[in-house]
Amino acid sequence: MISTILLLGTVCSTVTGRLGRVAGTLRRQVLWPVGRTLERLLAPIDRVLDPVADGYNRSLGPYFGEMSGLQFGVIAVSVAGLLTAGYWAPMVGPLLGGGLLRTLALASIWAIFAMSWDIQSGYTGYISFGHSALSGAAGYTTALLIVHVDPTLSIWVTGSVSVLAALVVGLLIALPTLRLEGPYFSLITFVAVLLFYRLTTAFSSLGGIPGFGQPDVFTWDPMLRYYYMAIPMLLIALALTFMARSNLGMILIAIRENEPAVSAAGLNPTKFKLWSFMLSSVPMGIGGVLLVGFTGNVDPSTFVVVDNSIEMIAIAVIGGMSSILGPLGGAFLFEVLNHQVLHGYSTPVRYLFLWLIVLFVLVFARDGLFRAIWHRLGAVRGESE
Amino acid sequence: MSVLEVDNLTKTFGGLVAVDDFSLEVDEGEIVGLIGPNGSGKSTVFNCIMGLYDVTDGEIRFNGVDITSDSTHQIVAKGLSRVSQESNPIDLYSVSENIRLFTLPNSIRSLHGGASDEEIREYAARIDIEDKLHEMPSELPHADVRRLEIAKSLATEPELMLLDEPFAGMNQAEIGELAAQIERFREDGMTMVVVDHNMGGLMELVDRVVVLNNGDFLAAGTPAEIAADDAVQEAYLAGEGLQ
Ligand SMILES: Nc1ncnc2c1ncn2[C@@H]1O[C@H](COP(=O)(O)OP(=O)(O)O)[C@@H](O)[C@H]1O
Ligand SMILES: [Mg+2]
Repeated sequence: MISTILLLGTVCSTVTGRLGRVAGTLRRQVLWPVGRTLERLLAPIDRVLDPVADGYNRSLGPYFGEMSGLQFGVIAVSVAGLLTAGYWAPMVGPLLGGGLLRTLALASIWAIFAMSWDIQSGYTGYISFGHSALSGAAGYTTALLIVHVDPTLSIWVTGSVSVLAALVVGLLIALPTLRLEGPYFSLITFVAVLLFYRLTTAFSSLGGIPGFGQPDVFTWDPMLRYYYMAIPMLLIALALTFMARSNLGMILIAIRENEPAVSAAGLNPTKFKLWSFMLSSVPMGIGGVLLVGFTGNVDPSTFVVVDNSIEMIAIAVIGGMSSILGPLGGAFLFEVLNHQVLHGYSTPVRYLFLWLIVLFVLVFARDGLFRAIWHRLGAVRGESE
Repeated sequence: MSVLEVDNLTKTFGGLVAVDDFSLEVDEGEIVGLIGPNGSGKSTVFNCIMGLYDVTDGEIRFNGVDITSDSTHQIVAKGLSRVSQESNPIDLYSVSENIRLFTLPNSIRSLHGGASDEEIREYAARIDIEDKLHEMPSELPHADVRRLEIAKSLATEPELMLLDEPFAGMNQAEIGELAAQIERFREDGMTMVVVDHNMGGLMELVDRVVVLNNGDFLAAGTPAEIAADDAVQEAYLAGEGLQ
């Protein structure tokens, strides 16, 4: 037995050693030259955009973070791309298997989930495995209001009550657990979502396994539907970026890195952790309401199942935790891969591939793809001048 | 008037009595030395004062107010601050950001409050690291990391500062320099308790020395009296020397 383990250990370490060397060679022989070429090409663009970025840095930089010319350009192009997707996606979509607008709408919802998870878990290091309980609380509240109270209630009423419900569930989870140390917080969030899942499947008054089909989708028009999802997503991204670049973000990261030092600074860590959980619950609730409007169905496997919570984490990890915009990018990458690039494969095969990517990022690009790209873009000028 | 009063403090860890019925008073403007061989309970006394440990028995008052069961951040807000024995800067933050963290208001509404760059510079200048503000803590030599810890503590604007082994790991020149800076803090109106395991850096600096041994009060007096005290000599004979 022991010799088997030893053998396995040796095999594993040689393989990872080999992998490390291969990765090293890859980096030196391929990535660096490619990077240098790209830098030479991008440096002039950076210089051209620099004055615009400087104007931004002077006015809004202190509130949303400073950017280099290139970084500013990438953000501007991305936002413009998202805002005009309703027009260009139907033309580009067929090249990627069709239905691109639907995928982008779905990606917007997942971007909201991943960013919300990030402001709480990614920033404070108190990793939640149960965030789908929050969006689930919002979704189920909407469904229950429509089924049991009044099917004609306006979305503004059901939506507000649902977001409030997400906040209440968030507080119910956060209040007793955020003082706990080590893995207990994570375990309790994990158990909370398992409990919620069983609750929804066990009682037919909560819809059981089929859930509720009564809620209406917002619209059947794909273009309109996309904007219903993308505009709130962009506003949430703006709000969370503003929060993350303020003192709050600085304190939350300090909690992750060294909680006793935060106390020694005269700051109450529990208060800030609680606040980050509330700040996370509200957009989770909004995302839940949007998901109802997207699917028109509220059931355990769309809303609550723990896989959803894990998927949010995966998206945040791929994009780059504790950056807000990284998880946003991660959501679009994840969903486009899942529903467009890999659309020809069965669901298990697609997920197998997606989880391999998550593993790859965790091993080779721990800061996340979009965070890595972002820092690379920021460094372009520094090296070319 | 006593700024800090520690009355009959006892702290046990399971069966181990780390601090046993220990009392200490510190007057305004004083620098008190707290010495004792390694493991005698000095850091535990500080941890109890700062609310990191729940005390087993006894009471701690700051400016006459009972702070025994306050949390650390409340105690810091009242004007007490501690420079711990282990440096623990946040490695992701520059020296200046590490100091800034200690100036932030304890309020979720204060999104952009805290010290200005100029104020941060002043805190750093009081301990002579103002030219290191943009460096990362991992790039600093040991003595500067220790100075950063003191700058962070200063940034909370304390009335009373507890310094746990500030001279540890410093060479003779650095010890002299730091002692002079601590002396300057006193001239600016700060009260201090300085822990060390021997009298090395304290001899010239402190007004009074209190000696702990195995969690018990052993002796108190001027540095000269303590250096000549037989019981203190004996307590130190087992381990390292007193000087
Ligand atoms: N958190 C703790 N848990 C258990 N024992 C501790 C703890 N902190 C300190 N001690 C014990 O209390 C005694 C006093 O330690 P300490 O206050 O660190 O001594 P000093 O600072 O004087 O060197 C030691 O025996 C130490 O092992
Ligand atoms: Mg100690």
